[in-house]
Amino acid sequence: MTPWRPSRREILPAAMALCAMPSIGRGAARTDEIRFGLTPVCLTSDLELLARLKSYLERVLGQPVRLVTRRTYQEITSLLISGELEAAWICGFPLVAARSRLALGAVPVWRGRPLYQSYLITSRDRQADGLTDLGGDIHAFSDPDSNSGWLVTAAELTAVGQSPDRFFSRTFFAWGHRNVVRAVGSGLADSGSVDGYVYEVMRETEPSLIERTRIVRASEWLAFPPVAFASSAAQSEMAVRFRSALTRMADDADGRVVLGMLRLDGFRQEDIAIYGPIAAKIAAVRGLPE
Amino acid sequence: MRARPLPVAAKLPVVVVVFMASVATIVSWQVLDRLDEAQTRRLRDVAAAHLDGLAAALTDPVIREDVWEVYDALDRSRQDHAGLRPTDTVVASRDDRIIAASDPKTFRSWAALPSQFLTEAAPAQALGIRTDGGKALAKRNLSSGGQPVGTVYATFDLAPLAAERRAVQWTLLATNLGITVGLAILAWLTVRHMTRSLRTLSRHLQAEPGDGIVPIPTEEARRVGAEGRHLYAAFNAMAEAVRERQVLARRLAEEERHASLGRLASGMAHEINNPLGGLFTAIDTLKAHGDRPDVRRRSLDLVERGLKGIRDVVRATLVTHRIDREERDLAPADLDDLRLLVGPEIGRRGLVLTWDNALDRPVAVPAMPLRQVVLNLLLNAAQATPPDGEVSLAAIVDDDVLIITVWDAGPGLDGHGQAVLAGREDGGTAGGPGNGLGLPLVRRLVIEMGGTVASTIRDAGGTAVRVAVPVRRTVPDRLADVA
Repeated sequence: MTPWRPSRREILPAAMALCAMPSIGRGAARTDEIRFGLTPVCLTSDLELLARLKSYLERVLGQPVRLVTRRTYQEITSLLISGELEAAWICGFPLVAARSRLALGAVPVWRGRPLYQSYLITSRDRQADGLTDLGGDIHAFSDPDSNSGWLVTAAELTAVGQSPDRFFSRTFFAWGHRNVVRAVGSGLADSGSVDGYVYEVMRETEPSLIERTRIVRASEWLAFPPVAFASSAAQSEMAVRFRSALTRMADDADGRVVLGMLRLDGFRQEDIAIYGPIAAKIAAVRGLPE
Repeated sequence: MRARPLPVAAKLPVVVVVFMASVATIVSWQVLDRLDEAQTRRLRDVAAAHLDGLAAALTDPVIREDVWEVYDALDRSRQDHAGLRPTDTVVASRDDRIIAASDPKTFRSWAALPSQFLTEAAPAQALGIRTDGGKALAKRNLSSGGQPVGTVYATFDLAPLAAERRAVQWTLLATNLGITVGLAILAWLTVRHMTRSLRTLSRHLQAEPGDGIVPIPTEEARRVGAEGRHLYAAFNAMAEAVRERQVLARRLAEEERHASLGRLASGMAHEINNPLGGLFTAIDTLKAHGDRPDVRRRSLDLVERGLKGIRDVVRATLVTHRIDREERDLAPADLDDLRLLVGPEIGRRGLVLTWDNALDRPVAVPAMPLRQVVLNLLLNAAQATPPDGEVSLAAIVDDDVLIITVWDAGPGLDGHGQAVLAGREDGGTAGGPGNGLGLPLVRRLVIEMGGTVASTIRDAGGTAVRVAVPVRRTVPDRLADVA
């Protein structure tokens, strides 16, 4: 069977339709529709990517797929837990935090490993060698439920007996790693916590934004943000097919195009244990007395 | 002192420049006024569009004081407004602290709003164009449910508007200046062309004294239009008439001189003829009684006196009318010779001559012309004075001026004669009855000597003619040559 290769002319109207979808706000999903939630762990601003991902999944799964984006991780996580989504690409932090109600589906492989880093970034011309140099800054976090965009930095501060609110003069959430880069690049924030994978992809796709910033510190390697299912649906036939569609993406031409745009090698199944370091950070942060 | 009036060729260009400057000022003022209005309207519209557009997107984030959302909205609203665009947009909370700004490095989040924003910002519809190169500062209050939640401020760089205004100003200035200068040059050339014939006439009328009025050459007439040619023709006709009149006057003067000479010759012949009878009688007496010593002596005395009289008359005449090109100073004897010359005429008319010559040495005035003048005046005086009347002459040097006055007891010079002496009329008909001959000649000679002549009617009757001739500074050491 010849794989369907959509042209750009066909994809753009599809992408426009995709954009319009959340605003239309369908109350009920079609019974045969698979709803896939996305968070800013990947570059959800790339409409062509979303259109190609949707197209690939629909073809492989043989049924309609609806991509659902929300402003916060919290909203996507809530929709997933409540059964409003069949699957979602979330962060390791909410996966670990809601471990009892969520199940690990597949983990992206980036540069050969299912790992990524959290970066502390600041403006290009500023001298800073570590987190301690950033004290008193206006600091931009990505999302309160983001591992790389909040938890890693908060845990590091906890380790030295500090908290974000006291260590930084002011903090705010930019609701997306790309927005953190924009905030630091524009000077709205003096420094920011950002997903290292997103930062590296942006280095290729939006070098003008990246070149206004520099990396102050890269964290240890941590498990990559996963695709998760609600625990109740983890063993369903849909979940099996969806996991398969993801893990076999590298074997498909369209899938490889999508992976190429995501700068990923593929998806694979991993043991939940790889999220242990993130669980430790959560414990450390939550253990800090107020 | 009166200012010299502007030449006609400059007046019209000046009027054009003044008129155009007035028109240009009014037009420029109106254009710039309209431009100011248009720019103000544009600024207000752009400011209102910008602030109103932001207000809807900003109200909720401002209520939440969501720094990123506010910044994101500002960042996405960046766009050009055809050269006029907001340079900075700042969103502040109710307590005047900055939530976010389009330029976060300059306006830090959570910092206090600069006081300038609080004092200078105005609603969009109250904005005005500033000419000091400053920025316009607009504001719009954000409210929710009737409650104020914050304020959006936007600064607008007015430099593009100022540059536009400058460009319009320069264009107006250059255009108006060009038109004004062009029209002024055109007006100048037009007037120059129109007054060409007048200037030519003026130049010919202002010819050097003595040259008379010079006719305009024919080739000059070819360069002007039909009107100019008519004007030149009329002028040339007038110049020809004047020239003929001058020739006629000169001829008349010459004829007067000849008439005067004729009268003198007649008088001289009479003067010689008188003693001739006595001389012939003496010769007859000598022929008859020459042998008697007493008769011979008386006869010879008589002959001698007669011959002396004849010699004196001949000598005076020679002195007066000799062809003497050399200019000679006036000697006292020159005047006294005249007394001798007019003596016969005085005697013949039965008049009394009173002679008061106060000169005691030569005076540095030309002798020949002055003698001619005085002789003419004396002959005229004698002619005018009735029998037994008195003719007087007085000559004196007073303050380097030789003054000679001749009185008569006649009826006096009429108005025409006085006018001729005063130079108000020429002497074309000066030979009229009672005026004597040579009045034009008298005047011309006196003028040539640099002097003046004037006549007055005496209360006691008769006329006094006063000639005043300035004495030259250096007195040539020469004696009268009368032999």
